[in-house]
Amino acid sequence: MNETEEKFGAIYFAVLGAVALAFGAAELIASAGEGFTWGILDSSGASDPMFLPWKAIILLSAGFFYLSSVKNFAEIHQLAKAVMASIMIWIVAGMAIWARIAGSIPGEETWFNSLEGFLASYAPPYCPEMFLLPFSLVIVYYILKERETE
Amino acid sequence: MKEKVVKVPLSVDERWDLIERISKQTVEFGARKHTLKDAIAELTVKPLTGIPVAIAVIYGFWSFFVDFAGTLFTDGFMVRLFDEHWLPWLQSVFPGGLGNKFYALMVDAGHLEEGVRVASDNCFEAFGVLTSGLFVVFGVVLWAVLAFYLMFAILEDVGYLPRLAVLVDTVLHKIGLHGYAIVPTFLSLGCNVPGVTATRPLETRKQRFMMMTLLAIFVPCGAQIGIMQDLVPEMMGWIFLTLAIGYLGFGFILNKIVPGKSPEIIMDVPPYQMPTLRNIGRKLWIRTSRFLLVAVPFVLLGCLIVGLMYLTGAMDWLAAVLGPLLMGWFGVPAETVAPLIAGFLRKDLAVGMLGGLMEQGIMTTFQVFTSVILLCIYFPCLATFALMLKEENWKEILGSLASLIAMVFVYGGLIHLVGIMLGVA
Repeated sequence: MNETEEKFGAIYFAVLGAVALAFGAAELIASAGEGFTWGILDSSGASDPMFLPWKAIILLSAGFFYLSSVKNFAEIHQLAKAVMASIMIWIVAGMAIWARIAGSIPGEETWFNSLEGFLASYAPPYCPEMFLLPFSLVIVYYILKERETE
Repeated sequence: MKEKVVKVPLSVDERWDLIERISKQTVEFGARKHTLKDAIAELTVKPLTGIPVAIAVIYGFWSFFVDFAGTLFTDGFMVRLFDEHWLPWLQSVFPGGLGNKFYALMVDAGHLEEGVRVASDNCFEAFGVLTSGLFVVFGVVLWAVLAFYLMFAILEDVGYLPRLAVLVDTVLHKIGLHGYAIVPTFLSLGCNVPGVTATRPLETRKQRFMMMTLLAIFVPCGAQIGIMQDLVPEMMGWIFLTLAIGYLGFGFILNKIVPGKSPEIIMDVPPYQMPTLRNIGRKLWIRTSRFLLVAVPFVLLGCLIVGLMYLTGAMDWLAAVLGPLLMGWFGVPAETVAPLIAGFLRKDLAVGMLGGLMEQGIMTTFQVFTSVILLCIYFPCLATFALMLKEENWKEILGSLASLIAMVFVYGGLIHLVGIMLGVA
């Protein structure tokens, strides 16, 4: 990893960490009450009220992991923290996507969902971790870079 | 003249000193560049970073379980298949009809509405061998067990389970067990039978006795969890919290009163690796098929026995005899007798029977919660008990049974008391 990549990584994951932290805090507050839906961002926990505080703790932890990885980002143990944070986001976001897939296949009145019903299951709003997912994938570039040097 | 050698056994500390001296003489220590995999492996065993990761992994495990078994298969397809097709078809073609004893045993006992016996409209209520029996096994339990064993095999093959064991080692030391205890505990969440078998590597009889007793009382199997998730999804967090408090609290007490030692054990923590599809598939097939071989006969037999007890009036007699105790001490209605009896054979079947009582509006929410906890803790299922008979000597079996009885009365009464204090019982 060269100096530019290290600098970019540090800044990028600091911002992502702050956003993950903010999302986690919002979910934690939402889990105490009715939750919220703001545009295409949904943190109502309508389908899984038991999971909301659990997800909030994971997002908060991922945010802390990202932020603590920023200093001396190229060092292997620091990079590992950012990788772990990304894996945690992949788990929660992966499960949110899996929940939509599982809910989209069976129909209400028929065995299988109609095409419209199936596609509608993937329409917004989305939970915070799904917004974090694509941004967390940047870590794959750094993992591949690290593999080159091993 | 030959000098006489006296062998003096080494103490634990002396053994560790000896290991250290030998390793200093034989092992070369040098700088080694850590790889990313090494660094991640380290992070997952350190409490500060390992605990949040464990929380995320367990979230993934549970979330997959709920959506695979509950949303997709049971609620998505199986409820419709059994309630809208299988049950009405059997009701129309099976000889006898409502009121016939054989029909009641096999298909539908029906229930009374304003003094008139009416047919059931779902498989939880019907309680026939071919309706509720098959629905419990193939409509709910199969998918729950499949989801559980799939996730378990992945965690096992990735190499995460030993790290979880290292993480919980400190906590489990407080109750006289070691981090390794997480392996039988996790296995028991699939099925108590392999969980009890997995206690064999524990060194002392005290540890094995404690582990088996705790598994039998406080760890519900995947089948039971699947049915609970289907019936009372909103209570699952509270149910697991109550069982976890019981596991740790009762473990602490057992550690104090059971004589014997809990020596240290050394566990190998392998490096992380990518699981192979072949291995996962093979494990999944072996575990699920073995589970079904154990579960199917017991569930069907359970349905038959409970049905016969209803038909002969034995259940009503038992409900009348045990009713005051159940209502007075545990705060649950006399009708809970039937699930408790079925629970001797299969806990999943017993929880399914609670579903029937819920549908009929016999129980309040808190009574359902108490009954589910009681079903978890009051006795292991017959298959687990048979294995415990094989693994423990008669003194230990008596000890386990005495612990069970004491635990049921103390913990069950305590839950009732908490309910009264909160104004919900």
